[in-house]
Amino acid sequence: MAAKDSPLKQFEIDPISNIELGGYNISFTNSSFAMLITVLVITLFLTLTVNTRSIIPSRMQLISELMYNFIAQLLSDTVGNNGKRYFPFVFSLFMFVLIGNMVGMVPYQFTFTSHIIVTFALASVVFIGVTILGFLNHGIKFFTFFYIPGVPFYMHPLLIPIEVISYLSRPISLSVRLFANMLAGHTLLKVFAGFVVSMPFFTGVFPLAFIVALTGLEILIAFLQAYVFAILTCLYINDAYHLH
Amino acid sequence: MPQLNPEFFVSQLFWLAVFFTFLFVFLWRVSLPRIATVLEKRQNKIDENLSSAKELQEQAMEIEKKINDQINKAKLETDQKIKETINALQENVSSQLSSLDKDLEKKVSDAEKEILKSKEDQMKNINNEIVNITKLTVGKITDIELSDNVLNKVIETQKGSFN
Repeated sequence: MAAKDSPLKQFEIDPISNIELGGYNISFTNSSFAMLITVLVITLFLTLTVNTRSIIPSRMQLISELMYNFIAQLLSDTVGNNGKRYFPFVFSLFMFVLIGNMVGMVPYQFTFTSHIIVTFALASVVFIGVTILGFLNHGIKFFTFFYIPGVPFYMHPLLIPIEVISYLSRPISLSVRLFANMLAGHTLLKVFAGFVVSMPFFTGVFPLAFIVALTGLEILIAFLQAYVFAILTCLYINDAYHLH
Repeated sequence: MPQLNPEFFVSQLFWLAVFFTFLFVFLWRVSLPRIATVLEKRQNKIDENLSSAKELQEQAMEIEKKINDQINKAKLETDQKIKETINALQENVSSQLSSLDKDLEKKVSDAEKEILKSKEDQMKNINNEIVNITKLTVGKITDIELSDNVLNKVIETQKGSFN
């Protein structure tokens, strides 16, 4: 593939400043820059809009409150009262993925959620945290999670490995889902953008119209994937409390 | 695919850890407590208003009850007063009527007495007149001078036949 006009070129990482620490390359890249923008947008928005702490909220404050209530509701619906402790984490995760996806929708802006290493790291944090939580809550009995009650005994040799594999593949499914959605969406946009340029005469407006529609779809997906990431995290936390 | 190029894996993980940790700590310690206080404040305000509204409603109901009580009391009192006044008036009227009756009776009896007295007076006068006329008449006709006592006696005896 010619690197110059490949639709995957947008995912390439360019270092902005080269930093090395203990022999590792930890350059500040366009990916890091997108993360910085994301974190700044979230922290500034959530801080400044609630700055007045008014009882009758402004529109902007209402957005912050809606976000807060949205995740609080999600957590209490799936986990119940135990979930309150994990609210800051789930909220951070949701906001980070959501705003990361949205920042990626800005033209020429890098989408860090389209990188498997980033999503896998986030999913691993969830997976490892939930596993530790499960052992803290149930000790060695946590392994009964893989034992499905009410199934004929001869099915267990088959079911237990399936359960173990499905449990272990959670971080992979969680990260690949987000990564693949972002990758596919942005690639598609890029492909059609290429058509706009390469098609003769005025026919370029057709793929352009398609891009407009796709952009709306991608914004929906950006929200949806953040929501899915958050709700699956909630469900995993719930599993760590209530085994089957 | 650039995603599978491990060249920047460490860099990505490092900055992800830095930014996500910062975001998590910042939201946990600063932003979320702020929003929580605002929501709590609002809930408190709503609860406060609701409870004060309830209180006011109770007070209003109490006042209404008081007003009704007072209206009933006033009604009873006016009824009582009206009855009392009617009774007093009736008594007054009857006492006045009786005193009038008495007065009238007295006046009637007085008048009767006076009538009787004047009748007697008249009778006496009539006697005197009769005496005088008789004297004059007898004097003119017979030249006999009759004394008053004799005439009176005669008249007294005759009087029984008039009556």
